Amino acid sequence: MKISFTLNNERFSIDVIEDMRLLDFLRDELGLTGTKEGCGEGECGACTVIIDGKAVNSCLVLLPEIDGSEVTTIEGLSKDGELDTIQKAFVDQGAVQCGFCTPGMIMSAKALLDKNDSPSDEEIMEAIEGNLCRCTGYYKIVQAIKAAAENLRNTNGK
Amino acid sequence: MSFDVQMPTSEEGLVSLLSKESSHILAGGTDLLVKIRLKRVIPKTIVSLRHLKGLDRIEDLGDKMRVGCRVTISELLNSEIISRHARILQMALRQIGSPQIRNRATLAGNIINASPAGDSIVAMVLSNASLSIGSANGERYERVVDFIRGPGVTTLSRGEFVKSITFEKTDVLFPQFHKVGQRNSMAISVASVGSLTSESEIRLAFGSVAPTVVVPIDACEYYSAEIDSFDEERFVELAMKCVTPIDDVRATAWYRTTVVRNLIHRTLKVWRKKGYNAV
Repeated sequence: MKISFTLNNERFSIDVIEDMRLLDFLRDELGLTGTKEGCGEGECGACTVIIDGKAVNSCLVLLPEIDGSEVTTIEGLSKDGELDTIQKAFVDQGAVQCGFCTPGMIMSAKALLDKNDSPSDEEIMEAIEGNLCRCTGYYKIVQAIKAAAENLRNTNGK
Repeated sequence: MSFDVQMPTSEEGLVSLLSKESSHILAGGTDLLVKIRLKRVIPKTIVSLRHLKGLDRIEDLGDKMRVGCRVTISELLNSEIISRHARILQMALRQIGSPQIRNRATLAGNIINASPAGDSIVAMVLSNASLSIGSANGERYERVVDFIRGPGVTTLSRGEFVKSITFEKTDVLFPQFHKVGQRNSMAISVASVGSLTSESEIRLAFGSVAPTVVVPIDACEYYSAEIDSFDEERFVELAMKCVTPIDDVRATAWYRTTVVRNLIHRTLKVWRKKGYNAV
């Protein structure tokens, strides 16, 4: 089946294996291993990517379903070797321990901050409620997302 | 996994594909892909709704509302007319999954899944929802309570699909949705109690305490009949008649029974304390 989509700002128009999950396509076909597989059933959020502005579990998306969509993975965030604001905030705030949940966590945070750069604590918690972290206890992750929001507001001149 | 994927653009194309053996409809995929992975579903053909025209709207029909089968949970949560006229549905939908799941999952999918724990089913039963079911032979209509026959079992037959869900606006009734689960997000109910209340009427529905979402009709009738001499213990006793839970991985039957009884008491307490002012 031939499908067209945009991935990390690059246009693709390719023949794909129909019964493949988006997650496997990213990791195995394109070598984009930043997107992790945790549970494989939508519980843990490690495989979170953004499709058309919305955070989704790439383990629950069949590849043909991205036809006509715009997909962003963790690899699409940094520019010219520079981490983006949210990635920097995670590093600065010590929000990364083992790191396995981090890409998914950052993608959920990005989906939130792209729509709302002044989220309340509650909105942050809700945005990451589908992402499990077994190391940090979430506190520093929430701090990092708040710091990123502040940096974004400063950059946007608010 | 080994199957082909079809993406029809018209309803005619969709129903002709669905009439084939082992073809499965894919809307959000949040349940189907898990079932395929667990080999509980072994499809030959997946029929995706991705490019289907229409059936993606939330419509105001006067005293009712209609939701197309492609409308996601997130879209319903962000909808102003749903906020205004179906707060019970939003309360229930907030309990479903996570943002990632809600961005893909559909209301129609949650109903067709026919889980005894289905959060949206509780709200839909309370709102007297009915389904429009399309096939090559045209369209039929069925109430959600009649559509769901048991855990994961519906009246949907091969070649049919749920086109839309129509339900009453319930602005005038005080909504409550109480759920006990194991974790804030992604939790499947251990027990849930949804209700819509006014001074003369109560609608109650329970999740996860019987093979399907159940309505304690006797208790609801007692409430309306005995407004002046209402006895809470009698009401709860009548309501508990339809509670027949099982032991499973999430909770024991004993625990579910205790939880649902407490949630019924809580429902009445919240109504008494806030109900009159909040409506």
